[in-house]
Amino acid sequence: MALTEDDVRGIAEYATIALDAEELAEMTAYLNDAVDMLEPILRYASEDVEPTFHPMGGATNVMRPDVPDAARALSTDEALANAGSQRDGQFLVPSILGGER
Amino acid sequence: MSLNLDSLTAAQIASGVASGDFSAVEVARAALDAIESRDAQVQAFLQVTPELALAAAAKLDARRAAGEEMPSLSGVPLAVKDNMNLMGTRTTCASRMLETNESPYTASCVRRMLDAGCVPVGKVNMDEFAFGSSTESSAFHRTNNPWDLERVPGGSSGGSAAAVAAGMATLSLGSDTGGSIRQPAALCGVVGMKPTYGTVSRYGVVAFGSSLDQVGPFARTTADVALSLDALVSGGRDVLDGTSRDVEASFAAHLEDGVEGRRVGIVPAFMEAEGLAPEVKRAVERAARSLADQGAELVEIDLPHLDAAIAAYYVIGPAEAFSNLARFDGVRYGYQEPGCANLAERSAKSRAHGFGTEAKRRQLLGAYLLSSGVYDKYYFAAQKARTLITADYTRAFERVDAILMPASPTAAFKFGELSDPTQMYLSDLFTISINIAGNGGVTVPMGLGEDSGMPVAAQLVGRPFDDARLLSFARAVERAVTEAGTASVLPVAPAFAEKGGELA
Repeated sequence: MALTEDDVRGIAEYATIALDAEELAEMTAYLNDAVDMLEPILRYASEDVEPTFHPMGGATNVMRPDVPDAARALSTDEALANAGSQRDGQFLVPSILGGER
Repeated sequence: MSLNLDSLTAAQIASGVASGDFSAVEVARAALDAIESRDAQVQAFLQVTPELALAAAAKLDARRAAGEEMPSLSGVPLAVKDNMNLMGTRTTCASRMLETNESPYTASCVRRMLDAGCVPVGKVNMDEFAFGSSTESSAFHRTNNPWDLERVPGGSSGGSAAAVAAGMATLSLGSDTGGSIRQPAALCGVVGMKPTYGTVSRYGVVAFGSSLDQVGPFARTTADVALSLDALVSGGRDVLDGTSRDVEASFAAHLEDGVEGRRVGIVPAFMEAEGLAPEVKRAVERAARSLADQGAELVEIDLPHLDAAIAAYYVIGPAEAFSNLARFDGVRYGYQEPGCANLAERSAKSRAHGFGTEAKRRQLLGAYLLSSGVYDKYYFAAQKARTLITADYTRAFERVDAILMPASPTAAFKFGELSDPTQMYLSDLFTISINIAGNGGVTVPMGLGEDSGMPVAAQLVGRPFDDARLLSFARAVERAVTEAGTASVLPVAPAFAEKGGELA
């Protein structure tokens, strides 16, 4: 069944992307096209084989030594350098739950 | 006698710098001069880095003056795809989201090329976050194919391919998630290789599809690709990338091994594929004949599950991209929407206004495919198809040492010609399956197509971690189709050759 604009509004909310009305229509058409294109994959759902999630399936729990790497650690200033807003050496975000600006 | 960078391979530049025929600073100036004269038309670069280039070159010259041993790529001009961090440059992924993003560190792949003596001349254009096959989705500008400025250079590493094809860099780095090195190499007439997944560290490369992404080099000759790969794997496994593997630096050593007595697979279904341009088909047939002439045996093989590759890829790729790009929420880096009432609004608007259309499409598709109820239906089916596609290759490689196929179904298309996104996805037919399976693949230029007059190419695919041998097959094809006395199949694109780039 084709995805409706309501469905896509829900998907966009899940993806945290605010779509305007025009984009919502565009993305609904796109997603329906794309999902149609993916149709051939459905016949593999019932295949009796194990899924492969990664081309290097054998490599699990690859760890580095659990010690700080001083050469690689960013200073506070370096870590904040690309942030859009900051205060007192910390990333600044608006209220998490509130509505005031 | 005047000498232009256009006629020099990476090996020749490095040996000239090491022996004092010219200095690294002279090479860097010549490369910057070529960029100055040519890039206004090609628009391959997002950022040119004369300070970094001249400082790196001066250091190399000082090392030579001090009598130190010179590294293998001394003074070779290198362009870097703009999804790789390089200290002193922005890393934008050709997105408004990261327009002002300064690299906080240097990616391992770039670091290794610099350690081998490369001189970084700049960061090059790409499809936004590597989503595309034409570089048209860059948020900043298009990049023109040096062989015809009205045509696309391919993508997503379109800037990397165009910079080398126009002689503005001798080497470049690209990344390949579904063909993003091999397809632009084909469209621009240069050599481009995606080695086996795990060969090159992904540390410091902005992630798209973490189980698919692999870094690789572009050059005008297979020998220069071999030197680049030797540099990229030297130092062994990178502890900063858990999927990085130890790979022997033996690409140059095995390049001239020859193909006598080797078996090369041909996939009849690919050669008859709908949409394969006759001139590309003929180019692949020429490559096959050249291998047979050198003593290889051609064997017909079947890869029965490859008809599922595009669908599997457009499940796995968007799912992984959605998960990777969730980090761009406007807090720690990236575009931040002003004047929002709360965090949720700021994240949703920062992402809405920072990402371009194709980046939003892929993330919405990924979000849908990973949503409850849908996940089981598509994602598991795609990973099962991945098992079957990998098994197809494993079976084929019991019979052959390499598989020959097209890289792109057509030569470079015109801007806007493929405007429907799902039509664009179908052009990935020949490149996508080895990202799913992990094997290496290399594009070899085959000259100009008889119909389009544009570069056409063949692709060779190898066994996992058998990339040195794979490249020796590419070298055999190159040897056969290169005109006597020239190093590369195609020269620097004629419209740009000798425009600047003179070694003083």
